[in-house]
Amino acid sequence: MRPRKMGTWALFGALVLAGSLGLAACGGDDSGDSDTNGGDNGAAAAKGGIYRVGTTDFGFNGGFDPSGEYLGWAWDLYSNLLTRQLTGYRHTEGAAGVELVPDVAESIPEPTDNGTTWTFTLKKGVMFGPPVNREVTSKDYVTAFERIGTESVVAQYGFYYSDIVGMKEFKEGTSKTISGITTPDDHTIVFKTTKPIGDFGYRLAMPATGPMPAEVTDCFTKAGEYGRYVISSGPYMIKGSDKLDATSCKTMKPISGFNPTKQLSMVRNPNYDAATDSTEQREALPDGFEFIINTNQKDIFDKIEAGEYEDSVDAVPPDVARRYSTDDALKDRLKSFTDDSTNYIYMNLGEAPFDDVNVRKAVNFVMDKDALRRAWGGPLYGEIGTHIAPPTLYPGSTEFDGYDPYASENNAGDLAKAQEAMKASAYDTDKDGSCDAGSCSGVLFLNRSIDPFVKMSPVIRESLAKIGIKVQVRELPTGPAYETSGNVSNRIQIGANARWGKDYPDASTFMVLFDGRNILATGNSNYALTGMTAAQAKEFKVPYPKGGVPTVDADIDTCAAAIGDERAACWVALDKKLMEEVVPWVPYMFGKNTDLLGPAVTKWDFDQFSGEAAYAHVAVDPSKQK
Amino acid sequence: MTGHIRPFPPDDPRGGPHAHPCTHEPGRTALTTAPVTGGEEPIGIEPATVPGVQARTPWQLFLMRFRRDRLAMASLVFIGLLVVLAFAAPLIAGISGHDPNQLFRQMTDDFGLPKGPNGSFWFGADASGRDVLVRIAYGTRVSLIVGVVATSVAVVIGVTLGLIAGYRGGILDTLISRTADIVLSLPLLLFAIGIVTACGSSREGCFGGAVKPGLMLVIIVIALFSWPYVAKIVRGAVLSLREREFVEASRSVGAGDLTIMFREILPNLISVIIVYASLLVPQNILFEAYLSFLGLGVPDSTPSWGRMISDASGIFDVAWWLMLFPGIFLLLTVLAFNLLGDGLRDALDPKADR
Repeated sequence: MRPRKMGTWALFGALVLAGSLGLAACGGDDSGDSDTNGGDNGAAAAKGGIYRVGTTDFGFNGGFDPSGEYLGWAWDLYSNLLTRQLTGYRHTEGAAGVELVPDVAESIPEPTDNGTTWTFTLKKGVMFGPPVNREVTSKDYVTAFERIGTESVVAQYGFYYSDIVGMKEFKEGTSKTISGITTPDDHTIVFKTTKPIGDFGYRLAMPATGPMPAEVTDCFTKAGEYGRYVISSGPYMIKGSDKLDATSCKTMKPISGFNPTKQLSMVRNPNYDAATDSTEQREALPDGFEFIINTNQKDIFDKIEAGEYEDSVDAVPPDVARRYSTDDALKDRLKSFTDDSTNYIYMNLGEAPFDDVNVRKAVNFVMDKDALRRAWGGPLYGEIGTHIAPPTLYPGSTEFDGYDPYASENNAGDLAKAQEAMKASAYDTDKDGSCDAGSCSGVLFLNRSIDPFVKMSPVIRESLAKIGIKVQVRELPTGPAYETSGNVSNRIQIGANARWGKDYPDASTFMVLFDGRNILATGNSNYALTGMTAAQAKEFKVPYPKGGVPTVDADIDTCAAAIGDERAACWVALDKKLMEEVVPWVPYMFGKNTDLLGPAVTKWDFDQFSGEAAYAHVAVDPSKQK
Repeated sequence: MTGHIRPFPPDDPRGGPHAHPCTHEPGRTALTTAPVTGGEEPIGIEPATVPGVQARTPWQLFLMRFRRDRLAMASLVFIGLLVVLAFAAPLIAGISGHDPNQLFRQMTDDFGLPKGPNGSFWFGADASGRDVLVRIAYGTRVSLIVGVVATSVAVVIGVTLGLIAGYRGGILDTLISRTADIVLSLPLLLFAIGIVTACGSSREGCFGGAVKPGLMLVIIVIALFSWPYVAKIVRGAVLSLREREFVEASRSVGAGDLTIMFREILPNLISVIIVYASLLVPQNILFEAYLSFLGLGVPDSTPSWGRMISDASGIFDVAWWLMLFPGIFLLLTVLAFNLLGDGLRDALDPKADR
């Protein structure tokens, strides 16, 4: 139910990104308008107090080891509180929050050697927290990349770094070092890549690349182990870090402030020097943070209301949201921000009746998107989706303002237009606007068996029935549903079990889902099978439609190689082509993250990068806490 | 059932359980396997010797005792009404004008929360805007079908295997009894989750397309886990019955095993089977509700009480009607079947203390 679990979505499609990324636009909008939501409750935001957050489950999928952890909320913790990467974000809402800014790096350099060499200069005086107590040097960043290249650590998004010169050799063990990463001195680090990677700066903001003290991390080479020993380079450290005996691997016991089944406590890192940071990125106002597991979700929101917690990681249940949003005294404590995810229904381009683009268009026209959004809780939980990648990923573009090729009144579906589209299909033999071919009965529809997904099944079933498509609903728990849709031979015809979120703010992180070369027999995330070739169909032992399957592989390659404004325009054009010509999806909602704040919260912001609360910019008033 | 419990003639001077070697023991209930001796039952055993007392067949006795049990009678009436409701579901849908799967936009608000009972939605609507009353009526069908069909399947399998195990003994007994033990020690819900997941993940279903998720799979899963109870009880009863004189006698006149099992022993087990089945029905109705609650039951297009309660679980403090009405129906139905079972047992087994 946590709307933003990167791992869950990205994991399955992740393996694919490598070849698809070119130069990114690093310019962006320079509003500098952070803290748009500061000072909510009128009280002045001051230092001090403990910020307490309830969650039903941490949900970590990499043991909280920054090298492997792929959960959005974990990225939020690292980048706001715990570790400092070379580059970072302002941890604020909107376009300003997804603009790349330097963090430990003095500045973001322009690449040289035709875009293949990146030289970063590190700030002086950035310190590791206890018990390491020394300056962060360029070598500590090299250690991070060596961990990414160490198979036993399981760096889940390590594919983003496979184009660094020498990474392959290091992984294979033929080289003890990564030849493409050099450190001329303690405050300089040089990356060489095998080809131009324009968005390399974004990849250096991801937590796996943060500084790692080898004296500690060398002791932990198995997946997730280091998660209990994460050494701070940010404003906070895990409580009890100072008690860690790092004199040898044998003397180290897990840091007491982190119990994966109960609580994660953070206190100030005494070695943090705010002069090396900017308040625009981190204000670090509370004296500490407590992230508490409370399996009773209702109790979490009762405690927030009573002032016993300040916030939650779980989405606000719709009934609580309704009460708050209709009460003027409570309204301001309910927050809802787009988290750059797309919820979509996919259609299998290789299977009748969805191998006909007219049928896919008809499905887009007839779908009651408003009812689907109500299944999620209504407008607070998302904007109606009208294209593939969320608008935030096209910064500065107005191309999608008011864009909706399948518009309908109140977004409830347009039956007349759907029937018109259906009439153009061979599956509607009597041309009455309703599918009458045999392949329109018993259509296999896959969904998750958990709330709120289950609430969408009746909507989708009833919407499709209007154009003669009769589905048989299959509902499975989240994991099995992903495995089932990711197995091509299962021949799922249409499904609503998927969502996708960005890894970093570039539309490429969505378009990889349509790359035909990425289709895998199992663990596939191109559920629509866009770009599947006859040869692939044969390999997967699935039928290949007579009319073929549309492909956008060439467009993806073109856009990935483009830079600057051209790149943005290219992705926009591809998004529209997918919506109007290929039509593999019904994107029904751009997701929003909801937060409920306790009465003691005096300052709060949303982190557009992680899609969660910006803990670097929150403040509490301890006198209002219970 | 009257066909199997052969009443001995009331005017038969030899009236007594062992009068005819080949006659089954009337009035005996196999709930206990202790030998029944003649004259133990004061009513109807020797009617001829008590002047002024009307002679009654065991069926009459059963009816008389059962009718005196007001709770059981009330339960029977309630179950009768449920059957009527199940058949009349389309009628209710027709009168209200609400199809069980029709989504009414006006019955949910902007937060996707359902609206409560009103003039045209007597039991309110669910989170998708569907009429709860109409869905409860249709849900009656699922509960009754699962309860009765799964129980029947379990009873047929259980009785057959129990008879064979008890009567033949030896390797067959070991095989059947241990299989029953194994099935009973399977983690039932985990197994159900596994099998439903396996059958739901591909287009064909599972077991080569023989089984698809839905009502049939639910019935199969429930029957699979219910038959061992029946088999064990039947086996225990047969073990003592097969040593009895009437079985010996039957064998001595040349009856085959099948004849003895099904013509001689089985009729003596009828009452225990009836009682046990009647108690298995509510258990299986609940089992279906559990499976549906976990999203493993019938598909969403088929209304089910368990699934309705599951849908209510997240929002029941703002939508009490979602939990209350299906909950009451489930409670009353299970209660009614249980009370009916108790009543049947009491009426069939006059020795049991009330």
